[in-house]
Amino acid sequence: MTPFEEELRQALKRREPAADFTARVMARAAAEDAKRNSGFWFSWRLGLATAAVAVLTLSGGVAYKQHERSLKGMAAKRQLLIAMRITGTKLQLVQERVKESEQEAQ
Amino acid sequence: MTALLAATRSIAVARDGPSALPAFATAVETHKAMVYSIAWQFLRDRIAADELAQDVFLQLHKSWSRIESPAHLTFWLRKVATHRAIDAARKRKAQAESSLEETDEPTVLERVHDSFLSSYLQRMVASLPEKQRSVIVLRYQEEMELEEIAKVLDMKVSTVKTQISRALDLLRGKVSRRLGKGTGQ
Amino acid sequence: MKRSLLKLAIVAIAVAPVWAAEDFKLPVSLEKLAERATETVDVTLDQSTLALASGFLSKNDPDEAEVKKLIGKLKGVYVRSFEFDKEGQYSKSDVDAVRTQLKGPNWSRIVGVKSIKGENSEIYILKNGDQIGGLVVLDAEPKELTIVHIDGNISPDDLGRLSGHMGIPELGKAKKNKSDKTPQAKPDKDEEQSEKES
Repeated sequence: MTPFEEELRQALKRREPAADFTARVMARAAAEDAKRNSGFWFSWRLGLATAAVAVLTLSGGVAYKQHERSLKGMAAKRQLLIAMRITGTKLQLVQERVKESEQEAQ
Repeated sequence: MTALLAATRSIAVARDGPSALPAFATAVETHKAMVYSIAWQFLRDRIAADELAQDVFLQLHKSWSRIESPAHLTFWLRKVATHRAIDAARKRKAQAESSLEETDEPTVLERVHDSFLSSYLQRMVASLPEKQRSVIVLRYQEEMELEEIAKVLDMKVSTVKTQISRALDLLRGKVSRRLGKGTGQ
Repeated sequence: MKRSLLKLAIVAIAVAPVWAAEDFKLPVSLEKLAERATETVDVTLDQSTLALASGFLSKNDPDEAEVKKLIGKLKGVYVRSFEFDKEGQYSKSDVDAVRTQLKGPNWSRIVGVKSIKGENSEIYILKNGDQIGGLVVLDAEPKELTIVHIDGNISPDDLGRLSGHMGIPELGKAKKNKSDKTPQAKPDKDEEQSEKES
């Protein structure tokens, strides 16, 4: 693998979903199962599954809001660093062009 | 035992043997990062990627009886996740959504130097045409062999090679122009 | 009554150019260039978003610590950068839409360089007493157009410090110029014409 491909591999490292991801998938799967097998015996199961999803959603909700704020902040930081990098690069470029222009004038 | 726990346990499929499939919950826990990451590379939105990843696992849950082995499970997840992500990305492009959340996302930086190159590369991969993006994600994120990528994407191996080569040339060119960096070929 | 109205009008006229001069906005007309661009960078960070971002900048990372110092006094950072796969994808009027806003008395063009390759770079600053109240960098190349607007107090030393970090080689120390003393290539006829017209 070339150094560039290695950089690409590092840049594309897997990222983790939210901590409660598996719990949410399982709750939805249980709810779907219960729905699929619906009938008198399973309707109370569906009710419990729905309640479980609601509890997970509520408790996950608060944590998720904080998580979202953190994501927004990090995204803003990334945008800012890119902007600063472009600004610095362009200023550098202008300086180089001024130097070239001065040299040509001499 | 609550009814929910019982329902959850009933979902688990225990099969015996060394190449036995894990329980469904274990499969979710083991492969959630893989599926989520594939979704994210196309959608660049944490919430949308989370939803798509959930949908992939729910589809797996319905198709669980058709999964033959752990290797088949991995293949199945990559294939479904990639195709769903491509479809979802197409729909989003058509709807022309745009928000701060869709742009850069923090990564876990393991290399101290040049976090900017890493961030820039992620953005550039996201801007690649679909086919090129797919092969790059499967090759460099999932570290798949060319033949495996060809099967997941229903392409010829030669096409996969060509797409990777084009994508790398494009990425190298952009990095070199934008960041003034040598690309250490 | 007439005299007080007249006084009010004089004050309004005196004040209005200052407001108009400071009020630089990236032209909305630039957004259409994204459709033709192979790559677009679109950064819009207002004061509240900058404050949010600042909270996530690490004091332990030298680059991030430098940026954190820089943005403390800023009101906004805006970047539009478009890369095209061929020439002629943006017009002079697209660039003039930016320049027109920078002709007010408080804006000064401190650098203007044009190369024979068709690369045209300009730096404008907004005077705010003895400080710089804003900065616009305009870089127009055959296949790329970049506009950077930094709104808020920024010192030349801050700008100089921006280079030397983030992988950018260090600039020489920026000078406070009262007038444009930087040598520049001959402006072309179109530029002279548009300056006469405005």
